[in-house]
Amino acid sequence: MLTRDRIGALLMLAFSIGYGVMIFRIPLLPFQMNDAFTARSMPQALAILGCVLSLVVLFKPMSENDRTENARWRDAMKRLSRPIAGQGFPLMRVIVLCVLMVLYGLTVRPFGFLISTSLFLIAGMLVLGERRLLMVLLSSVGIVVFFWVLMTQFLGVYIAPLPEILADMIGG
Amino acid sequence: MLDGILVGLSTAASPINILMVAIGCFAGTFIGMLPGLGPISAIALMIPITYGFEPATGLILMAGVYYGAIFGGSTSSILINAPGVAGTVATAFDGYPMAKQGHAGKALAIAAYSSFSGGTIAALFLLVAAPSLAVVSLAFQSTDYFALMVLGLTAVAAFAGRGKVLKALIMTVLGLMLSTVGTDETQGMQRFTFGILDLIDGISFLLLAMATFALSEALMSVLRPKTPEEAAREKDANASLGSMRLNKEEVREMVPVIGRSSILGFFVGVLPGAGATIASFLAYGMEQRIAGPIKGKLFGHGSIRGLAAPETANNAACSGSFVPLLTLGIPGSGTTAIMLGALISYGVQPGPRLFTDNPEVFWSVIISMYLGNVILLVLNLPLIPYIARVLALPHTVLVPMILFFSLIGVYFVTFNTFDIQLMVIFAVGAMVLRLLDMPMAPMLLGFILGGMMEENLRRALIISNDSWAFVWERPLTASILAIAVLILVVPMLTPMLSRLMARRREAAGEGG
Repeated sequence: MLTRDRIGALLMLAFSIGYGVMIFRIPLLPFQMNDAFTARSMPQALAILGCVLSLVVLFKPMSENDRTENARWRDAMKRLSRPIAGQGFPLMRVIVLCVLMVLYGLTVRPFGFLISTSLFLIAGMLVLGERRLLMVLLSSVGIVVFFWVLMTQFLGVYIAPLPEILADMIGG
Repeated sequence: MLDGILVGLSTAASPINILMVAIGCFAGTFIGMLPGLGPISAIALMIPITYGFEPATGLILMAGVYYGAIFGGSTSSILINAPGVAGTVATAFDGYPMAKQGHAGKALAIAAYSSFSGGTIAALFLLVAAPSLAVVSLAFQSTDYFALMVLGLTAVAAFAGRGKVLKALIMTVLGLMLSTVGTDETQGMQRFTFGILDLIDGISFLLLAMATFALSEALMSVLRPKTPEEAAREKDANASLGSMRLNKEEVREMVPVIGRSSILGFFVGVLPGAGATIASFLAYGMEQRIAGPIKGKLFGHGSIRGLAAPETANNAACSGSFVPLLTLGIPGSGTTAIMLGALISYGVQPGPRLFTDNPEVFWSVIISMYLGNVILLVLNLPLIPYIARVLALPHTVLVPMILFFSLIGVYFVTFNTFDIQLMVIFAVGAMVLRLLDMPMAPMLLGFILGGMMEENLRRALIISNDSWAFVWERPLTASILAIAVLILVVPMLTPMLSRLMARRREAAGEGG
């Protein structure tokens, strides 16, 4: 039976095998080949250790305790895919938050710190179900401006506040 | 030694550093109180802010954050039965029933006094133990360091709890694997970089810690929203805390418990891998046994001893866990691992030479631990009713803020947007692993020790002419490795042996 622990072990086994295959891509100079310890040595040991450990977990017999715990885990996982009254799908929210973070990474430079961060915070709060718009706006913009002033004025870290195009126009 | 203490005292007692301890304690309490966020996240979130500081000042702030986070965790354990960290789970056993009986203020006061006493007594032990161990550890060679790191990693796995040893080992190996990404230190070869320039320097420790702890903990809290019952508890928590005063009898009951639990906590904390969680459970169990049948029955229903013991022990263990970090440069837990990461980022290499090369860092950290405890007692305890309001802050606002601080904390170090994308990848991976109940702290420890381990092993092999004989020829190395094997094998064999014994007994019973 594919239990919680076995899924984890399978993932680790796949990762270890992938990691093991990648070891052959580590370049070694001819004179390094015969060294007792090369750039490949530790990864090789780790790949083997990772495979062995995951295989042990995969083939370990299950105890009664494991079975009950696994049943409880399955229920918890099923609950994750169901909507919660008044809160929507939690899993969906997490996925949207991850997408927002990726977008934030892509926009923080071209849009500038102030705009992209404010947008990220506002979108994040809305995704999590906050509907008091005034609080959303005030708290996100307030935090962003406070943080920007703190970093640039007091801690001496320069952060471009404005979008690149706008900064070019003003600066150039 | 007295010179050192004075140097430490003058560094730690400078106004800026006292301010830092206070800020650290306060910020730590605030973050630690948020259910789900533990000291590792608290420290990770503070590292970027401290980059421009002197090493001593930065570390003093971290020590404050550490203590504050543990205290904050105790507060949420007592008030809403939601321990932020494993180290304060035992606190909730008696703290929460006490709060439910209307003595929340008293429970918080007991927790604060016990933490203070435990931390202070342990800081005194640290004052004696750390320098002596630092002197001894000067005799350690690369082979011994390699062995010690193996011991640290196996100990973390061995103490991970029943049924989790193998999973913890797997996570340790994963951490070690991640540490090999980047340019190999001695041969200069690129490993696992997939030709991506941003990976040539390897994965940054802060990035990994922030993504796998702060980010993924915040996302997990979205995934597992509060039940209406929990939400109600959070609301109630702020209603009334009751009096914070203790009477003489209560103090008299606490004192011996604090004495015993501090000693136990400190020594458990020094052991690699054990740490605050085990110390608090051991102290709780020990006090329950000592209390006798009548008072022992009160445990779990709001016993003063049951609250004082784990609180004292977890703080004492926190101080204890600094011994291997400061003297050997080897962290024994996830939290000290992140402290090590912070130290290295300030340009300080902990280890036996820290004691001689940077005495001001070494001593001021020890002194600041004491200061941190004083500040927690003097400043945080009276402010608890106000700080507790953080529990009432809406998650809808808090979670995006935590995500923002985590992302920006890493981004501000490199100003590389690739790091933000990498963090999201790691956070998603960490969430999957968390959902599969894989422990994350061993991974972090494996990651931080990986590079050092490889370096020491390589050096050991060079010194011994490419021969592995050092493993059994050097008694110190051999004995440390033997201990590592023992602590790993014994817990695995014990259930097997007991099963075998039970089967034999059964067979004998049937036969007779």
